[in-house]
Amino acid sequence: MGREFIEVLISGITNGSVYAVMAVGMALVYGVTKVFNFAYGSFYSMGGYFAWVVFGAKLGYPLVFVVVIPLLFLAGWLTEQLMIKPLRQRADWEMMAVMVTLGLALFLDNFYQAVFGPFVKSLPLLVEGDITAGGIVIAVQDITIFLVAFGIMIGFMLFLGKNTLGMAVRAVAQNMTGAQIVGVAKDRIFALTFAISAVLVGTAGILLAPKYFVSPFGGWVILVKAWVITAFGGMGSIKGSLYAAFILGIVEALVGWQLGFTWTMFAWFAVLLVTLIIRPQGLFGTWG
Amino acid sequence: MMTSRQDLRILMVLYVCIGICPVFLHGLPDVMNILILCLIWGVVAASWDLIMGFAGIFTFGQVAFYVIGAYTSAIVTRTFGISPWFGILLGGVLTGGIGVLVGLPCLRLKGSYVALVTFAVHMILEPFLRSEAGRAIGTGGPQGILSIPSLTLFGYTFNAMELVPWFYVVLSISFFCLLIIYFIIHSNWGLAFVALRDSETFARAIGINDFKYKLMVFGLSSFLTGLIGAVYAHYVGMLSTRLLGLDLFLILMVMLVLGGLGRFPGALIGAFIAVFLSEWLRPLETYRNVVFGALVVLLVIFVPQGITGFLFPDDRPGPLRRLGALLNRKTPDGPPSNH
Repeated sequence: MGREFIEVLISGITNGSVYAVMAVGMALVYGVTKVFNFAYGSFYSMGGYFAWVVFGAKLGYPLVFVVVIPLLFLAGWLTEQLMIKPLRQRADWEMMAVMVTLGLALFLDNFYQAVFGPFVKSLPLLVEGDITAGGIVIAVQDITIFLVAFGIMIGFMLFLGKNTLGMAVRAVAQNMTGAQIVGVAKDRIFALTFAISAVLVGTAGILLAPKYFVSPFGGWVILVKAWVITAFGGMGSIKGSLYAAFILGIVEALVGWQLGFTWTMFAWFAVLLVTLIIRPQGLFGTWG
Repeated sequence: MMTSRQDLRILMVLYVCIGICPVFLHGLPDVMNILILCLIWGVVAASWDLIMGFAGIFTFGQVAFYVIGAYTSAIVTRTFGISPWFGILLGGVLTGGIGVLVGLPCLRLKGSYVALVTFAVHMILEPFLRSEAGRAIGTGGPQGILSIPSLTLFGYTFNAMELVPWFYVVLSISFFCLLIIYFIIHSNWGLAFVALRDSETFARAIGINDFKYKLMVFGLSSFLTGLIGAVYAHYVGMLSTRLLGLDLFLILMVMLVLGGLGRFPGALIGAFIAVFLSEWLRPLETYRNVVFGALVVLLVIFVPQGITGFLFPDDRPGPLRRLGALLNRKTPDGPPSNH
């Protein structure tokens, strides 16, 4: 019992670290551009499929990241510029943005299905091998995933906290008019946040691909998970998203272990409902 | 806004046009089947439009409600042997109740949260229907439900061999549902929705109780969707969770954006165009849904008012209205006003 429990816990923490990366990307886009991006999950699958294609060209994982990240950045940038920007002038643009991103998600997912087929694609392990410590087996891959996800989070926090561009992003999130007055190019910041969020979730897609495969419609679960984490942690609170991602990653692993994996989706939904009923602003967020 | 009389006139003309189709097409069972499905999905699209386009609530649970209505009626008629007519009514009422239950937490939330919660209902419905718990109440688990009893009327049993009677019974139910939606849009309710959608603060300030109205529209739109879902179950005679795949969801979105959000009979027109477009694009196989996804994106960006907005624009007389004005030149009330 005890040993198995610790292994489940480690699996939960590993997934939690990747969930944190996804959730932060979603919180960023929602906080800055006020768009609920329904195509978020499709960017997750995009990361996985890009990686699969690049891997098929016999390139190792380091090169996969080097090649795929700029592509994801471009995809995110273009999405904002071509689809969201033309809608902003309209009175009902928020609903239209939801519709357009939903259309994009359905377009992308059906595109993956048409091009790559309906069956899952598997990627080789990031790193092979296991470590055994006191009878507990830990895959080196899990440690690698955790470290990469952790590194991405640190990099992202430094960007937001120390970099001028990162500060501009925060400024737009806090007060759009104020940011424009001091000379922040709002449109470029919107496109940048979309691009960064596509990179974050797409990288999460690459990291989890060796564990959970890549499938054309796999992004929908990710979309809901990322949104539940963001809601639970508190909208627009990066610290909240971090805690929430680890808590929910562990809860998911425990529910899957005790009740079976069909129940994990119900667990996510239950967390969402309880959060919205008891504390709609989330753990660390402010409502509004 | 179109005038109330014009909406009703368009609705009547549409149903008469659809209603005479079997005279020419009764020998083509495939086409008849498509027409029946258009009528069924037209109701789903129109009730989705009622809640999203008119009440301004982003819900994405319409397919889930449709499936709940279908399964409810299939299960009660199979388990208790009651009449399918009663099953259909029960399907509608139960779905309406679930709609209210989903609406209750949603109405305290902001738009994007509602989109998520309703979509999450869609997402968890499939694992539930396939689970052991679902099997226990008669959903048939992963296999779904086969052999759902058909409708009977005055001793006649509707069957797949004769689609013309089926067509007219579905036509009547569909017309009834669209009429209800029409009356709501043009009642004080409808006015309240437009006021709430255009300026929520102002609408509240003049004393419109948005919570009550929004909850009612949640209940009503899910009632109609569940009702027509139940009709679908008895029409096709079998159900599986494949309905919850994204194919139906996507084609409903195409119907909605083709018809134009918040333009009343638009969703019905959109349903017919989308379904026939889908049949026409069948040779594309898996790429058909890719085209549909792209179509949604392009329509939202370039034709936000949909086809209805093109035919009946708000600001200048559109092609159909100009034609109508020509034909109606002698009517005493003059050309219909735009506002």
